[in-house]
Amino acid sequence: MKRAKKKGGRIMFVFLCILMFLGCFILGASSKVLLKPSWSKEYEVEFTDEIGTLYTDLSYGDKQANKFDMYLPKDNTRRNYGLAVYLHAGGFTSGDKAGDKQMLSWLCSKGYVAVGINYTLFNEENPNANVYTQSLEIKEAIPKVIEEAEKKGYHINEMAIGGGSAGHALAMIYAYRDVDTSPVPVKLLFGAVGPSSFYAEDWDIYGFDKDTKEAKEGASILFGVMGGEKLTLEMMEDGSYLEKVKPISAVMWIDKHTVPSVVAYGKYDKVQPFKGSQRLLKAYKENNIDYQYFECSHSGHGLQNDSKIYKKYMEAVEKYLDKYLPIEE
Amino acid sequence: MHLTKSQIIILIIIAIIAFLLGRLAVRAFFNLLMGGTLFGGNFL
Repeated sequence: MKRAKKKGGRIMFVFLCILMFLGCFILGASSKVLLKPSWSKEYEVEFTDEIGTLYTDLSYGDKQANKFDMYLPKDNTRRNYGLAVYLHAGGFTSGDKAGDKQMLSWLCSKGYVAVGINYTLFNEENPNANVYTQSLEIKEAIPKVIEEAEKKGYHINEMAIGGGSAGHALAMIYAYRDVDTSPVPVKLLFGAVGPSSFYAEDWDIYGFDKDTKEAKEGASILFGVMGGEKLTLEMMEDGSYLEKVKPISAVMWIDKHTVPSVVAYGKYDKVQPFKGSQRLLKAYKENNIDYQYFECSHSGHGLQNDSKIYKKYMEAVEKYLDKYLPIEE
Repeated sequence: MHLTKSQIIILIIIAIIAFLLGRLAVRAFFNLLMGGTLFGGNFL
């Protein structure tokens, strides 16, 4: 009788251990997903009437996606305003400006006219859209954005442009390639994990660094689709493809006059190659650009494992905004 | 059910290990999607 009771107690204890394991496992997983570092709240502002006024889906072109959201700061008494554009992520095939509401609200809360711009995404509905056409849409949007701000009583005299991933790539193209045609001076570029070049040897994550026909074919297809150009095997072999993808390769436009830049990259990025960011870093150094480069050495495309470095990146963005796009009193 | 002192210690150890494994599993999943190391950087 006593032995049976003891056996029953042991079974109950094992059962309790399993329950405890499952409960705590779920708790741990949830904590990883739901809990954000306390510092991140500083940059994730909820937009209210106290911050300013939000105008959504203002048009800048004929295409369906040619829309932008404009966050106007509450104080409308200043003579000049800095424009802070932030372009959304999504691999050039998805995403929306609404996804950056907290970032744009933060920029607006600092006193900038903050703007999120949509661009035509490459998908089944828009098979002809590519990184080049998207960059042209951004170029087309900026003067319209400034015009719209003017209409609402906010005179823009300078700007900064940033973004995440695909948005970062497009922001770099605007800041480095299109800077001379910008209606107002571009003072700063900031962003994370955006591809800045298309050297096949850098794209090892897709196997394009290999000296095989398949690798060259793969690179010619991907780079060709992204750049809206037909790239042949011969071009890949003799290197002439680089000139074809120059319009979408931000790094190839960097010179001594390039704007100050703050960027962050993940060392183990599976989506865009980290090696490309090393090329970008080299270009900054060679051209004496005022830059801040943050390497998240345990992270991939989401910079998800290095919150301390990401915090430093955001602090640098804020510092550079204050320095190069100061709020007029 | 009455728990002995050693049983309570075992339960606490299981709870800590399970909690850490839960966080590690999520990190491994995100690493699979985006790249990254299993250890280092953030706390798991």
